Amino acid sequence: MPAKKYIEAFSMRQQVAIVVVAAAVVAGLFVPAVYGTTNEPADTVAVVEVEGPVNAALADDVETELTEVRNNDSVGAVVLKIDTSGGQPVASERMYKSVQRTSDEMPVIASVQDISASGGYYAMAPADDIYVLPTSTVGSIGLNAPAPSSSPPAEGPSGPDKTGSNEIEQWAQQQTLADTFVDAMMAERGDEFEMSREEVAHADVYLGTEAIHNGFADEIGSLDEAVHEAAERANMRTYEVDTRETGMDGGLPILIQTDDELVAVYSNDPGYADIEPMPFAYVYDGAVPHIDTIERFAADDVEAAVDATDATGGEDATDDEANGTEESDGTDDVPSLSREVSP
Amino acid sequence: MSRAMTLAVAFVATIALILGGAAGIGYLTADGADSPPDLENDHYLDEELISDGTPGEADVTMSSTGPAQMVLIDAGAADGAMPVDPLALLGLGADGAADRDVRPLVNALIENGHEVRIHTPDPDAAQRPPADGEPTALGADLAEADAFVTFRTEYADEEVEDIEVFVENDGHVLLASDASAEFDGPGAASLDSALGVTTHPGYVYNMEEHDLNYQRVYAEPDIDSPITRDVDRVVFQSATPVGASTTQGTLRPIDGSQLSTTRESTEEPLLVHQGNVVIAGDSAFMSPENAQRVDNDVLIGNLADFLVENDRDAGTQPPEGDADPPSEPVPPEGELPDDGLPEEEPPG
Repeated sequence: MPAKKYIEAFSMRQQVAIVVVAAAVVAGLFVPAVYGTTNEPADTVAVVEVEGPVNAALADDVETELTEVRNNDSVGAVVLKIDTSGGQPVASERMYKSVQRTSDEMPVIASVQDISASGGYYAMAPADDIYVLPTSTVGSIGLNAPAPSSSPPAEGPSGPDKTGSNEIEQWAQQQTLADTFVDAMMAERGDEFEMSREEVAHADVYLGTEAIHNGFADEIGSLDEAVHEAAERANMRTYEVDTRETGMDGGLPILIQTDDELVAVYSNDPGYADIEPMPFAYVYDGAVPHIDTIERFAADDVEAAVDATDATGGEDATDDEANGTEESDGTDDVPSLSREVSP
Repeated sequence: MSRAMTLAVAFVATIALILGGAAGIGYLTADGADSPPDLENDHYLDEELISDGTPGEADVTMSSTGPAQMVLIDAGAADGAMPVDPLALLGLGADGAADRDVRPLVNALIENGHEVRIHTPDPDAAQRPPADGEPTALGADLAEADAFVTFRTEYADEEVEDIEVFVENDGHVLLASDASAEFDGPGAASLDSALGVTTHPGYVYNMEEHDLNYQRVYAEPDIDSPITRDVDRVVFQSATPVGASTTQGTLRPIDGSQLSTTRESTEEPLLVHQGNVVIAGDSAFMSPENAQRVDNDVLIGNLADFLVENDRDAGTQPPEGDADPPSEPVPPEGELPDDGLPEEEPPG
């Protein structure tokens, strides 16, 4: 056999050397794949959405996503796609801590869509840069809470502070809640803010065009531009975008102002269990409708439906909506929802 | 071992060595095994961050030792236009609606032997105006009083005239207004005009130094006066600036205070004493909780003295049902129209 003849032409040592070289060549073909599975190169920018009222469900999701991002070696940078007017203080702090930790490990850029105010601003503050659109709204660094007031004694609780503490103690607690927020923002962006702590604590909101000058934002840019910047900072030549949705479907809960407090409503047709009071909130007030406004427009819907059924008065409902003033003198034309639906 | 077996072992061992090495190096250089970052958040740990919520204590004392006086209090709408207690809207419990807001003052008066009477606004007064010559309910009460404390800013024209006559006849009046009064119905200008005082739109706040909230501002006296005797500093809450043409004592907000409508610094007083009238731009500074802050209790004691130290002889002086028509009021600082507000329908 010619083959056997060729093999026997080499000594045993030479044959082993040939096999080893052949094995090395074969193994070399697989080295990149094996190395890659254990040390995957980062080529992904994760876009984590932070949208809707800030509550525990949103904080849960954002924390989970950012933890996964930190542990996923393929993700090299994060962009926070923000669109929220704030919400619960603790949920805001949870997201703040999560973003802070992520920002410590990789580039994080916040991209504000319509609004990032109050608790939303809190959450994104540790980002390396804040991108805004020219008419985005940012700011509102402060606490939203009603003035404490004394109430008659409640008989039964085990201690005097069980059903609400002293009025002055409540003022102090609210001030501490506000200062906690302001101090955190000064720690994160005090060098960027072109204003004093007192001015920051005014809790004003700013349009994007103004925010890039007063330090509440860093750049004018869209989500795409924020993603590209994040990829560049992570030294990615090519990259993929992995968008991660968070929070409850449909943007719930809905925040509503009443005369006394803020409430979160967890259903479009809420029952008792779907309404959660928010005595303290990091919320931009201007983005939260008052219950009277909602009732007024809902009443128009009901009225229009009734009118449509009767085939009369459809124009009245339209007029009411066009007038759109709360101080309408036509109270008969703008009934409350309760009046309208009561038997 | 056969030759073929030897060669196979060499082949497999070489591949295993190279790929195992690659995997090992990859694992060792991966980022995921890092320990968690040690993040410092010192701003959460600062002990000065925690505001002091110690309520404090109040000791309201009077220095006046004069004869017993009768002080009439209209607490019908202590907090803006709406009585605190919804029952007050029905004419029930109106005297209890703002009881807390005035209780430290009332207790000081009672403890010093003075009489306190509560005027309960008649919710139907607008529908049943008094006949000609018949005194208003307020006028009848004022006729028996030596001093008048009111938290209301809106009165019928006849009642404003009664208050004006009362002041002209040596009655002392304490008006506790607030920043929300300017948002109420036809407004408080008629009463302000009758008393010769002014209130200015907006509230005073202080972001630099305040009592637990930017709207709870400190105010200090600028001159020595009986009203501000022994007062170093008081707290007013959501207070509106007040003024008068001549002042005998004022409390002005401290440095750093600003006015909400202008966002500029303001020194306009929050309490003014002019003759028989004291006006405060805050209706909450006498509540039990606020009486316990800084020197509010001293101020309340001084105001109690002001109320009872008057020259009025209620038995012989109007207003009464047959009282003479009041003289023209003196417009304060020329800022208000001579004829007050145009007559308007009260809000429905």
